[in-house]
Amino acid sequence: MHLDALANLKPKGRETHRLPLLSLATLVALLAATPLVYIGLRALSADAAAWQRLLQARLWLLFRNTILLTAAVTASSSIIGVGLAWLTERSNLPAKSAFRLLLALPLAIPAYIGAIIHLNLMRPRGGVIPKLLENALGITMPAWNPLGFWGATFILTIFTYPYIYLLSAAAFRALNATIEEAARVFGRTPKQTFWFVVLPALRPGLTAGMLLVALDVMAEYGTVALLRYETFTSAIFVQLTGRYDHSAAAVLSGALVALASVILLAELRTYGKGRFTQVESQWRPARAIALGKWHAPALGFVIGVVTASLLIPVTALVVWSMQTLLEVETSASIFRPGVQGFAAHLWNSLWSAGLAAILAAVFSLPVAMASIRSPSRFTRLLLRICQVGYALPGVVIALSLLYIVNRYASFLYATPLVVVLAYVLRHLPQSVRGSEAAFAQIAPSLEEAAYTLGRNSRQTFLRVTLPLAFPGVLAGAALVFLTSLKELPATLLLRPAGFDTLAVRAWIWAGDGFYQQAAPAALALVILAGIPLSFLLRKEELIP
Amino acid sequence: MNRLELRNVSKKYARSGSTAVQGVTFTLAEGEILALVGRSGGGKTTTLRLIAGLEAPDTGVITIDGRLVAGEGVFVPPERRNVGMVFQEHALFPHLTVYENVAFGLHKQQKSIREEIVMESLRLVGLQTLAMRYPHALSGGERQRVALARALAPRPALLLFDEPFSSLDADMRVQMRQQVRDILKSLKATVVFVTHDQEEALFMGDRLAVFQDGEIAQIGAPEEIFHAPQRRFVAEFMGGSDFLAGKTVLEGIQTALGLLPQPTGLPPATLVEIALRADDVAFTLDSQGNGVIAERFFRGAFYLYRLKLDSGEFVHALQPHTELLPVGARVHMYFNAGHPLSVFHNGSVVQVNSPINLHHLIPAKR
Repeated sequence: MHLDALANLKPKGRETHRLPLLSLATLVALLAATPLVYIGLRALSADAAAWQRLLQARLWLLFRNTILLTAAVTASSSIIGVGLAWLTERSNLPAKSAFRLLLALPLAIPAYIGAIIHLNLMRPRGGVIPKLLENALGITMPAWNPLGFWGATFILTIFTYPYIYLLSAAAFRALNATIEEAARVFGRTPKQTFWFVVLPALRPGLTAGMLLVALDVMAEYGTVALLRYETFTSAIFVQLTGRYDHSAAAVLSGALVALASVILLAELRTYGKGRFTQVESQWRPARAIALGKWHAPALGFVIGVVTASLLIPVTALVVWSMQTLLEVETSASIFRPGVQGFAAHLWNSLWSAGLAAILAAVFSLPVAMASIRSPSRFTRLLLRICQVGYALPGVVIALSLLYIVNRYASFLYATPLVVVLAYVLRHLPQSVRGSEAAFAQIAPSLEEAAYTLGRNSRQTFLRVTLPLAFPGVLAGAALVFLTSLKELPATLLLRPAGFDTLAVRAWIWAGDGFYQQAAPAALALVILAGIPLSFLLRKEELIP
Repeated sequence: MNRLELRNVSKKYARSGSTAVQGVTFTLAEGEILALVGRSGGGKTTTLRLIAGLEAPDTGVITIDGRLVAGEGVFVPPERRNVGMVFQEHALFPHLTVYENVAFGLHKQQKSIREEIVMESLRLVGLQTLAMRYPHALSGGERQRVALARALAPRPALLLFDEPFSSLDADMRVQMRQQVRDILKSLKATVVFVTHDQEEALFMGDRLAVFQDGEIAQIGAPEEIFHAPQRRFVAEFMGGSDFLAGKTVLEGIQTALGLLPQPTGLPPATLVEIALRADDVAFTLDSQGNGVIAERFFRGAFYLYRLKLDSGEFVHALQPHTELLPVGARVHMYFNAGHPLSVFHNGSVVQVNSPINLHHLIPAKR
């Protein structure tokens, strides 16, 4: 009888199964950290003259511009996002469920596509609206400038508010009515209740959302480049493509990443807190608040946002696409067969973003599982390291990959796989968070039940853990797919000649001034991005 | 043969370094139900998880059916221990139907046999009509029975229950434990059952093991635990006891309630405590008495009185509901047990000179 038992010699129970998991998780974290470390080293080892030059001339201006834009967009999209969330969740606004969907959909439109449309509509000479006004009324538009700080703030705000909107709408919904009722019973007016009870309850989620928006704005390239507002990203891009000054680019990248890291660290402090505030069994929705005389202005506000961020862009894209398709020559040049044809662009977008989503999901599994099933300082550190992608703008990832691939992985050089790798590194945090949340929801007793029913670790993972975590892992992957489809600067910098995605095509045409020709690719991109988005919204039960 | 044996099993938590269980030793015969009872954090759930193989002991030996499963450098993982477990929140697989849940542990059986066993297990718990449902479409009691069927289906040598009824409503709980006990007894299953509810432990267990701070304070038949607690903690935990301070004298113990003529064998003037239940104390109205009525509780067939002794101590006593005595009235209280009382010195029971004969208290095996 002892011999039988000795055959099962294992000193420490399930602990032994965790070693391979931890090693895999460590490998993923190392991969995630590589660009950051590399950029840091390059920036510090850049010769003093490069630093000197930049410090004197540009660095402070870039800091100022970047911070100004980031603060303005974060503030305005927060106000709009929270306001809209309150209106669609707590007020007696009509058609709330329709507005919920319409207000979330602008997430499918990349901001630079919005900027292209904005420019084509508004530019003083040749813009659609100035022309219309001139023809109809015979007046020349006053010289208002769609470019610069205000243009960039406007465009980035109307395409980033949905992040804040979705977060705060979910928070409003999760808030138990009894909290507010308790405040009222203890003698607070509705207004006091909102400021001192409801808003503080939203704060943790809202802060995290704002910091993520800030990181997104800092990383934005297409919009600021097109609207000629110089920030770090556009300056780095110019150094990389125009002047080929890699040393200056590394210095600028180092400064940008340092700035972004501060924000990411703040975000990581809030991350993970208050995530288990589950809806209690006695939960019931708070009563809708009558808008009274504010009804019409509120409705106008919501419709205005939907119009600016969704109706105008989509209508413009559809109309211009039709016009382009009706012109035989242009249409033929866009839809020509072969690698420079529309089908090839579509396919390139699909497979590169799809592969990135699959890889990011697979990489996220060991990190998420290790942090949930053997929580320790070490696994928490791994989890945090895997979030650095948030602080690495596309241009920075591209710069570091240019170096690294050139030197250590030349077989990847000038292949589309480098582009995919950039997507994975940049968007890994999204899939890691998705998977982590998914695994955290699985009670350990489910796995233990499988063991006591005679299943080993592998069977338990395949039959219990993975099927249960799958929807969450898939949601993370869908987010990676969505953001990879929309990605522009890293794709532009890293793609091999001839590897055009829909994003790249729309950008190049617009950059050459052919705004209408850009429309079909842009429209296809928006429709494609709508697929993972609708999946995500359905998972969040925003649409039935 | 013993189905289960634990010898000197100890486990410290890796994280905090605090001791979860310490020197736990007991055996379990085939067909016996052992209830582990104690406060939360007392070590009973850890003991259960050590038996299941979900934790590894630091020291000590565990054998199931005579086969060493943990200790002496051996660790058999849970999937090879041939134990079944019913979890606290049932832990049904939400993505599998009732049928698939019950079949989950039968993966090594042929398909036709598997089907037979699943249907038989579901019939046993009365759920054969719900086989194609998913867990979320079941009531709490139904989930409970699926969890039981799933644990029973592979015919384990040993069944483990971790507070299985704690998630059910109070009336459902009473009903379920009757049903579950009947099923377990009809199958002659060998069971370790964890609960924090002493009433449930008394009902379910052929024997009880009372846990205190990671150790077994006392193990024995329910009647033994209830009537002859070996430690103050057991008397306190198993409910209904007041503790009265006393000092030993030659004739017995001197207390605020008078002299208890029960020899202790301890040197005179030793401080002790006497465990008193409400039926061990009687009182009469007496303006010269030794205390007052502090509170009165209506209990249907009788009144329960909370009495305050002049010493400041409180005891409880019963009176028939025909007589209603006012709060604040002065009373005389006295011992009225008719059997030796449990006396504790430094938390442990003091063996009385004439040992309590429990045999008349313990009925024939249920």
